[in-house]
Amino acid sequence: MAKSDLFLGLDVGGTHTDAVLINDKGIVAHYKAVTDHDNLLLSVRSAIEKVSGEAERKNIRRINLSTTLSTNAIVENKLEDVCVIISSGPGIDPEQFRIGKYYYAVSGSIDHRGKEVRGVDAAAISRIVAEAASKKVRTFAAVTKFSTRNPDQENVIAGEAAEKSDFITLGHKLSGQLGFPRRVVTAYFNSAVWRIYNGFADAIDACLKELGISAEVNVLKADGGTMPFSLSRGVPVETILSGPAASVMGIAALCDITQDCIVLDIGGTTTDIAIFAGGVPLIEKDGISLQDYPTLVRSLRTRSIGVGGDSVIRASAKGVTVGPDRKGPAMAAGGKEPALVDALNARGIISYMDVKKSRDGIAALAKKKNMTPQKLADAAIDTAVAAIRADVDAMLEDINNRPVYTIHEMLEGAKLAPKKLYVMGGPAGAFKEKLTEAFGVPVVLPKNFEVANAIGAALARTTIDIELFADTGRGELLIPNIGVRQKVPSTYTLKEAERDVRAHLAAHLKGLGLSVSEADTEIIESSSFNMVNDFYSAGKDIRVKCQIKPGVIKRLL
Amino acid sequence: MIKAKNRMGLIFFPAYDWAISPTHPEREERLLYTQDQLREEGIFDIDGLVEYKPDIATEEDVMRLHFCFPDVASVTTESHMISAGGAIKAARIVMEGQVDRAFALVRPPGHHAMKSVHGNRGFCNINNEAIMIEYIRDTYGVKKVAVVDTDCHHGDGSQDIYWNDPNVLYISIHQDGRTLYPGSGHVDELGGPNAAGKTINIPLPPETSDEGILYAIDEMVLPILKDFKPELIVNSAGQDNHYTDPITNMNFSAQGYARLNEKLSPDIAVLEGGYSIQGALPYVNLGIILAMAGVDYSHVREPDYNAASLRQDPRIMDYIKKLKNVVLDAYKDPPRYEGLPPYGEFMTRKKNIFYDTDGIRESQVESILRCRECSGLFSLETHSTVCSLSLGIEIPLGACPACRKEGVKLLNGAKKSGKYETIQVIDRVKKEYYRA
Repeated sequence: MAKSDLFLGLDVGGTHTDAVLINDKGIVAHYKAVTDHDNLLLSVRSAIEKVSGEAERKNIRRINLSTTLSTNAIVENKLEDVCVIISSGPGIDPEQFRIGKYYYAVSGSIDHRGKEVRGVDAAAISRIVAEAASKKVRTFAAVTKFSTRNPDQENVIAGEAAEKSDFITLGHKLSGQLGFPRRVVTAYFNSAVWRIYNGFADAIDACLKELGISAEVNVLKADGGTMPFSLSRGVPVETILSGPAASVMGIAALCDITQDCIVLDIGGTTTDIAIFAGGVPLIEKDGISLQDYPTLVRSLRTRSIGVGGDSVIRASAKGVTVGPDRKGPAMAAGGKEPALVDALNARGIISYMDVKKSRDGIAALAKKKNMTPQKLADAAIDTAVAAIRADVDAMLEDINNRPVYTIHEMLEGAKLAPKKLYVMGGPAGAFKEKLTEAFGVPVVLPKNFEVANAIGAALARTTIDIELFADTGRGELLIPNIGVRQKVPSTYTLKEAERDVRAHLAAHLKGLGLSVSEADTEIIESSSFNMVNDFYSAGKDIRVKCQIKPGVIKRLL
Repeated sequence: MIKAKNRMGLIFFPAYDWAISPTHPEREERLLYTQDQLREEGIFDIDGLVEYKPDIATEEDVMRLHFCFPDVASVTTESHMISAGGAIKAARIVMEGQVDRAFALVRPPGHHAMKSVHGNRGFCNINNEAIMIEYIRDTYGVKKVAVVDTDCHHGDGSQDIYWNDPNVLYISIHQDGRTLYPGSGHVDELGGPNAAGKTINIPLPPETSDEGILYAIDEMVLPILKDFKPELIVNSAGQDNHYTDPITNMNFSAQGYARLNEKLSPDIAVLEGGYSIQGALPYVNLGIILAMAGVDYSHVREPDYNAASLRQDPRIMDYIKKLKNVVLDAYKDPPRYEGLPPYGEFMTRKKNIFYDTDGIRESQVESILRCRECSGLFSLETHSTVCSLSLGIEIPLGACPACRKEGVKLLNGAKKSGKYETIQVIDRVKKEYYRA
């Protein structure tokens, strides 16, 4: 970045809105305010105004925004009616995946090779579209089984709906990954938040113009990467649940992480856990779940447990427990029941607001249970740390025991062994010693972790993942989510596929105005199988997954 | 989100980097399309269905029941140890209560692997189900187990292993051995003298469809299971009865497989054969998994399914109805083995085994001590085109003191004689398995 260039990171979270302005030397200014839940635009606008002066705004080159808009719309069910048209062919009854008020299954079937077994019924689709139009439904979602292997039927549905719709989500454009039920859910959510998201995007664009900002604008995704704001207008579902990723990427910017490590974000209600392998945050295998709906939205692998500063302390015959719930604030902050923070206050580890109230609360509970206050407070702190440790262990075990599909991986598969623990969040400092003891690895509290989320947003780089699928018997190559479909010769090889997938990804990003070199792309999975029909070779089945992994464009060390 | 009625564990190990040879049916992508189908259907998002990584079987797990000549490493690859380990994992998660049922969708298969192993026959080296069952019996103290083998080929390996074991009921439903490899599995093969009636064979005519196979389950398998009262039911879940299978001649469908599984309700299923990897396996496996998990499978169907073309010839049903009486009579009143050597003496049988995959010819003399107290000391003298004269001695699970003593005597004599290249010992009482 040039000397005068500024990056602006904005995290409009559920509780707080954080903003940070960064230049080539580091943090220039940061700002925190309570989010105006009913007017996110106002929260964004005032954050920009407070964190930057008029003169600085002209030098802002890049604004990265993490917003809860889509998440809130889904969680609060402020969703537009969507006409979902699917064709599923044989398999699990498509009724099981019914979503929204207008859900139609039409005939049509594509098999696992991408071969059309049964054509889709265009006349039936046309009738469904007309019916939806009569009910004033203007957004659609088209999802067919195995559309990532052959998008024809989704395209037919799109064609039929074109004139009567404002917007249609096509399943194969969301991800190259298999998973029909996830595709249905993701396409539905995408269409259902499309209008509200685009309204917000229009308002943001107008606001930036008014403020005299002509920066490149990106939004943060749950995988800790960004995508161009303009592009997100078509896939607003990609912006869900980006908050935890912002914090994790913040830590990646604030620390020089190069090995396996654990990141803890200890908040008021929960502790969020993320894992880095070889310096790179781990990605959830299939996609994030929202309100019990698994989606195809790629995300960082995180886990949340009900232990935080305000977690309530209980004592019974069985012992002392902490959380998973909270009963209002800690007593130090005027609450009625002792919480974890009160235990830390009572032991003199921290000195947070009204220490006396904490001491009294802990003493009162201890007396009831015939314990000394010291013993109760220690037990509460130890229980909290042990619970965090147990959850981290469970997460590591899940990762280390994840199924693999080759003998090579079975025998040679690397195991994660975290060498460091990074802790952020309000009560983080208070736990440093205890966590060091519990985990037996160095514990680091990054400086400026209070605004790690906004820093993460500001410095996260673009991420994307694509899947190439080639069938040399059929002579076709597909990269569904970036719309590549071309012929390949029967002699096409895995090596060529690996070369092509990188080239397509780089070209796609260049088309979006992003400067990414092929060197930034990474092949994450690559396989080639000889297909055999009745003992004769029938071509190769080639699959290559390629990504730009989450990372930061600059570190603030 | 779909919820499973039964908590179900799936051990999926496709061994994408292992094949017998490049165009052999048992090759890398055998389960590739199955995995695609399962992923696309969202199987792994079903609430209550969990995917597990296989264990790797140890040499001890193999030597607990097999005599491997000259040793385990010479007749197995890592792939076999992982496949058997997948079955063991399925057993562990069921026995330890993590799940109600488990399906080990692993390859290579195992049910043609016999007690004595010199190489690969019928695509199998070691017997995954038997390794699993003996692991269960040693670890969890389970006594009575039933194996229902629904692979299209007779599971001659499993039959051989359990021939003398009265506590493992082995039932095989398969295409008649007169028309298909390995040629065995006739109704009159009913188990050795100490386990008569505990091996049951139901050979079905070629072109038997859903109707005939499900009839065999309802009218023969289920009544026998009810009578035997096993503590655990294991399904050797071969998928080559399918109408599209390239190496068999039956007309079973994915719906049929799902219904069979629902009726049988096995605690553990282990994949065996099935080589219609595009047209059958994706749908058959989907059907079996849904049925085991207790999720509706009524919409599972092959893209080219045509009920009319698979309708069964009425003569086939007539034949199977007659077969029912023969099978049930044989179970209720098995052969008495009259005119055998008296108790306390050895009874022998000679066998010649051909290893079709590896082209090995083996000759065996099997001896079992007739015993009133236990299933009897067992020994097996063997030589083959790849292995000179060797011996296996087994002191069986629950062996009586006399048979244990006799076993030690036999071993000492064999060692002294110097005529065996290898001696393998299985002592199930002391849990010691070694090469003497």
